[in-house]
Amino acid sequence: MNDNNSRGCCGVLPAMAPLANPYVPWQPQGQAQYAAKTGLIRGTLFPCLDLPFLDMVNSEEKSDTMLHQLQALGFAVQELGLYLDTHEDDAEAAELFRQYAELYEAGIKQYTQDNGPMFQKQAYQNGRYSWNETPWPWEYRANQEG
Amino acid sequence: MFVYEKKLQYPVKIAATNPRLASVIISQYGGPDGELGASLRYLSQRYSMPYPELRGLLTDIGTEELGHLEMVGAIVHQLTRDLSENQIKADGFAQYFVDHTAGVFPTAASGFPWSAASMQVKGDPIADLTEDLAAEQKARVTYDNILRLSDDPDVNDVIKFLREREIVHFQRFGEALQRLRERLDQKNVYYMNPSFDMS
Repeated sequence: MNDNNSRGCCGVLPAMAPLANPYVPWQPQGQAQYAAKTGLIRGTLFPCLDLPFLDMVNSEEKSDTMLHQLQALGFAVQELGLYLDTHEDDAEAAELFRQYAELYEAGIKQYTQDNGPMFQKQAYQNGRYSWNETPWPWEYRANQEG
Repeated sequence: MFVYEKKLQYPVKIAATNPRLASVIISQYGGPDGELGASLRYLSQRYSMPYPELRGLLTDIGTEELGHLEMVGAIVHQLTRDLSENQIKADGFAQYFVDHTAGVFPTAASGFPWSAASMQVKGDPIADLTEDLAAEQKARVTYDNILRLSDDPDVNDVIKFLREREIVHFQRFGEALQRLRERLDQKNVYYMNPSFDMS
């Protein structure tokens, strides 16, 4: 508890709480955030929610391939989206969401140009239908570097 | 509607095959606390969930769980690439192999096929969100247990990510319950079912 306090990680419980109800402390606005790349390997953007099992943590960030960058940006959009679903009045988080979403959109455009379609609607490229020319994401080779 | 995005939420790159480990991890594909049940639970609870932001949260978490289903499928698929004769006979995998070869089938590690009986849509928002809190905890423990059973760093890298997502989802579902509760009768939040009596 003290440790949580010193990290600024405490949540807020309602002052008047009806009985016979489950309560999860409310995550206050303005808590620290990881950068997107760190957030991806930790599985959350919020250090306060980063609660590993037996100190097993991913410490090595993913390499800077286009795909990894997209995965980090896409993750940041998704994570902030869930946060904003319950905290839509957090203007700072909404602004960050806007920035990550913009970077993500630009990244998708670049990736599609260099690597092939991410969505089927982008599959007409270089005069032909190219949806099936790149490996599917679950294949080992789709996750290889470079 | 749903549109496919041709990438995984998080990279899955398993260098060493290990069918024994695959036959344990398959439980997060089609076991009682796995990702298939998670996605169907949330995406089905949406219809009777009152209030737009709660519907949104179920949609968004349910969609993310579909992405996790794909990641767990990718782990199982990559752990069972290019198997040798000895590997298919390995303890724990032969029983899976005889029915599914190296395909990915939604089943619990025990061999019990995926069942909708492992999830619920009660049509009452307090009951459904409380179920969702429990579901996230059960999935977290399954990932804890996989981390105990696996010493493959490529697998554990992904499992740690998936496990942490359960904790974040638990937090959001808890906040959703609070958002719901604030709209109910503070003297008796069980006075009626807001998804049935207020529509």
